Amino acid sequence: MRLTAACFLICAAFAGALLRAQEEDVSVDRSHWSFQPRSVPAVPQFNLPEDRNWVRNPIDAFVLEKLRTQGLAPTVEADRRTLIRRVSFDLTGLPPNPEDIDEFLNDPGPDAYERLIDRLLASPHYGERAGQQWLDLVRFAETEGFEYDRHLPHAWRYRDYVIRAFQDDKPYDQFLSEQLAGDEVTPVTEEGQIAAGFLRWGPIRRNAGNPDVAISRNEVLTEMTDTVGVTLLGMTMGCARCHDHKFDPIRQRDYYHLQAFLASTFEDDVPLTDAAAQATWKAAHAKVNDEIKKLESALDKSTGDSRLDLLKQIKDAEKRLPQPLPAISTVRNNDTKRTVIHVLKRGDDKKPGDQVGPRAPGVFLSKGEPEIPATVANPRTTLANWITSPTNPLTARVIVNRLWMQHFGRGIVNTPNDFGLNGDLPTHPELLDYLANELVAGGWQLKAIHRLILTSSTYRQASHSPDQARNVKQDPDNRFLWKFARQRLSSEAIRDSLLAVSGKLNDASGGPSVIVPVDAELVDLLYKPSQWMVTDDLTEHHRRSIYLIKKRNLLLPFLEVFDQPTLQTSCPKRESSTHAPQALELLNGALSNELAVAFAKRLETDAGPDRRRQVDRAFQLVCGRLPTDHERQLSLTFLEGRSLNEFALAMFNLNDFVYVK
Amino acid sequence: MQQYSLTPTTRRQLLQESFCGLGGLALASLFASDSRQARAANPLAPKPPHIASAKAKSIIFLFMAGGPSHLETFDPKPLLNKLDGQVRPAEFGKADYQFIKPDARLLASRRTFRKHGQSGIEVSDILPLTAGSVDDLAIIRSCYCDKVVHSAAQYELLSGRTVPGFPSMGSWMVYGLGSESDSLPAYVVMPDPNGALEAGQPMYGNGFLPALYQPTMFRPGATPVRNLNLPPGISLSERRHTVELIRDLNLAGNIDRDDELAARINSYELAFKMQTQAPDVFNLAGETKDTLDLYGVGTEPTDDYGRRCLMARRLVESGVRFSVVVSGGGAANLQWDAHQNIEENHNRMAKKVDRPIAGLLQDLKRRGLLDSTLVVWGGEFGRSPEAQDGKGRDHHALGFTMWMAGGGVKGGQTIGATDDIGLKAVESPHHFRDIHTTILQLMGLEQDDLTYLHQGRKERLTEIQGKVIEELL
Repeated sequence: MRLTAACFLICAAFAGALLRAQEEDVSVDRSHWSFQPRSVPAVPQFNLPEDRNWVRNPIDAFVLEKLRTQGLAPTVEADRRTLIRRVSFDLTGLPPNPEDIDEFLNDPGPDAYERLIDRLLASPHYGERAGQQWLDLVRFAETEGFEYDRHLPHAWRYRDYVIRAFQDDKPYDQFLSEQLAGDEVTPVTEEGQIAAGFLRWGPIRRNAGNPDVAISRNEVLTEMTDTVGVTLLGMTMGCARCHDHKFDPIRQRDYYHLQAFLASTFEDDVPLTDAAAQATWKAAHAKVNDEIKKLESALDKSTGDSRLDLLKQIKDAEKRLPQPLPAISTVRNNDTKRTVIHVLKRGDDKKPGDQVGPRAPGVFLSKGEPEIPATVANPRTTLANWITSPTNPLTARVIVNRLWMQHFGRGIVNTPNDFGLNGDLPTHPELLDYLANELVAGGWQLKAIHRLILTSSTYRQASHSPDQARNVKQDPDNRFLWKFARQRLSSEAIRDSLLAVSGKLNDASGGPSVIVPVDAELVDLLYKPSQWMVTDDLTEHHRRSIYLIKKRNLLLPFLEVFDQPTLQTSCPKRESSTHAPQALELLNGALSNELAVAFAKRLETDAGPDRRRQVDRAFQLVCGRLPTDHERQLSLTFLEGRSLNEFALAMFNLNDFVYVK
Repeated sequence: MQQYSLTPTTRRQLLQESFCGLGGLALASLFASDSRQARAANPLAPKPPHIASAKAKSIIFLFMAGGPSHLETFDPKPLLNKLDGQVRPAEFGKADYQFIKPDARLLASRRTFRKHGQSGIEVSDILPLTAGSVDDLAIIRSCYCDKVVHSAAQYELLSGRTVPGFPSMGSWMVYGLGSESDSLPAYVVMPDPNGALEAGQPMYGNGFLPALYQPTMFRPGATPVRNLNLPPGISLSERRHTVELIRDLNLAGNIDRDDELAARINSYELAFKMQTQAPDVFNLAGETKDTLDLYGVGTEPTDDYGRRCLMARRLVESGVRFSVVVSGGGAANLQWDAHQNIEENHNRMAKKVDRPIAGLLQDLKRRGLLDSTLVVWGGEFGRSPEAQDGKGRDHHALGFTMWMAGGGVKGGQTIGATDDIGLKAVESPHHFRDIHTTILQLMGLEQDDLTYLHQGRKERLTEIQGKVIEELL
């Protein structure tokens, strides 16, 4: 008995030693597809005339080849009406207006569709649409979350930077470098500092009482490292923090090597005003703040009416606090405060293991490559150079996959933040590499990839196939793209479209975020109700959703109910659920009812008093088409003796409004 | 087309006839007939639990926000009283607090503990009525968690993580089990009208789960749910026709009988059911005087919490899966967050909840609902054996009490223990993840089978494997 136990112990120790030796050698795991260099795949060729006809560009060749091997065939091309609505939402997040539809339908040019794409890519709304998708990814919010949910009043500059970058088609490698290390560039620019705000947007726990500096710092570093991993590399580094990654050849050590690039990164607010202006502001702020403090101390001792009165006085005083002076929320290196990075056992900062310096994950390096000294100047620039290197196997694949997903609703790799062993395999690996190669060869310009995707026959397919029943059986999720998959609009697109069709959209771009009114009960549940200071200018309330404040502890109920992400962590892919509270929001909610009245007025203005023309106009605006005879009849019957407002509201609730085919 | 020639007499009748009455007729033809039909029609349709023998169908979480003291409620410590005013003896070990320093002095409890019920479990005189139900309670005296600040501890209590962004218990339950009600939200939070908690709304949220599983935050007053009322100036008969038009146009557009579009059409039927049937559930007018008294409705200081507990029972009766009834909100002293004066704060807070909680337990029991309803009591942590500012107690995460009752829980027992001054859980210590695992188990869910793929990880409520508290079952 004793002997057996001893034997077991010896064996276990031996196995442990073996395991450790294996951990040092990552070569065994390099075979995973996404860690391999990109291939240069040959574009499939076709002999049949119908196939040659269908293939407009190499995307189609790759897609068609897969369809053929699966015994599937592409469906017919969508009609122009469907296409303009689809591509307008895809590129701008807004519906096409009837005049644009007519122009496109009547355009005799053989390149009418290509010109439409170019026009939409040049639209100022393209940056807003693409920008929202990026903001989801980088968990952008304008408050810090947790208890105090402190506001970051300058965060909007980053939001505008992102929109501008997409609008101007800033090369993606530059876009990433600026966000990772824009503050490290000499001479430093405002643009670079604003971009580096990327590292600021994680939730931050601040608390009163005994400071737990080391724990808080560890939380911040963890959050930054995880975000860099999933958003830029499509790697879920988070698991490796506590233990050797169960699935990836990413070792716990690799996690802390990556974190070491961020060891001297600290938050920074750069004022955009001079010292005198700041002194004046400080004095004005202190004056009101003192008043508030006095009122608050009185509040502790008061009850009943006098308490209510004091609360009101405090609220009023808080409104009088001066607006923050212009500044940039960013980060900067502070070498004297640099955190010494240790491998932490189980991720616990009380259990430090070996000290490590910056280094890319071992699986990407040749064996035995040394780490960079922790004291290296501009460590994040070094990281950015590695991430944006044309030979980095992940970066280009990850971003073209995201672009693909924006248009088709699912990625070639359908786990867009996870290209590791636990993620999905690509359905079309050659196509993914082809697109990534194109991106890098074309100077990392994203609009070119959008154009390539959108002009393909693959994208132009109808959302219905004559072989629907058979194809659904074989490929229920449409992984091989035998049709275009219908998609529900995002929460922002639903709100923006309501505003657009009712003629109320204020399509101004940029500037400080707007706070719209919400139920008083929700404001009462904030740490400080005065944080929800509704924007005075009512026309601002009808700005596009991307310009509404992103407050972690109060999501706008309208957006939340339609699957807006939590703003707490990176969201690579929107959910699209269907449930009764959505119906209640569009039926009884304040916004849809207010806009229904505006929409009804617009119908009268646009179409005059004739009911039939009003109905036709409504369908054109909301669904991008005329009603069928049956729909027209139902609508006209309804309008006999009933209000146009209610008809307008009904239009907002149509499937054809919230879905893109 | 169905014709409507009746003259409906009540709002409910009117709406039902206008819409829901048609449901059966329309729905049969709406969906492509395959096995996914029920879920396609209603994505929240009930799902069978993993463990068929599980008794609990609903949960009421009595959330004592701010951190109630175990030392003044369920965990008597005679030695602490003896050591009043002294520095903690070294043999008890160290503790990190949010505010108080290592030299803080121990503070005796002024409460009197007495044995109650057949089980003879000691409960303090601060909760005299809850003490009367002690034979139904399984009191876990050895809870612990990871954080001594409210926000992080509240996230951990509700979602198993100390950071926001993860689904709460309620969202996981609805994800795992669906809803037994098609006219009420499946997951309801009734906040304290005094105001916010530190972790804010995100602690109750659906995290990365679809919005389908989001909580419904009840508002105070007669219409607790957003958007259930018609907008001002719109009459019911007018709106009835509008909703019919929506249905007819959407049916006309769904020529392929596509399940996803059909589900959306059906969501309008569910919305209308909610609009017609939910107000009846929210209306307490039909309750007898006896029942209202049982909960302390109509008397202060129990009226507010009593109403919300009574509402929770009504929600359970209607099939609501998860209800949170929060005690405490706004400034620290309006929660159980007794930094300045434990006696004043806890006496006041306990008086608000003691009768309602005892009433809820009795009422569930006499209606035969306690077996299928799991009641959970607790806060995000307990309070320090040491004094803060002379008479208060600081946050304390190393050992504190929660209890469970009903839903298959074996009552009349205590589980685990803290040391002799109530500092650390020393006997059968149970982390929040054990509490979560046990709650899942009682509801018939296995922690490893209730997962959702997010960022490459199969996420679950318990990040690290939790243990089922076996004594409790």
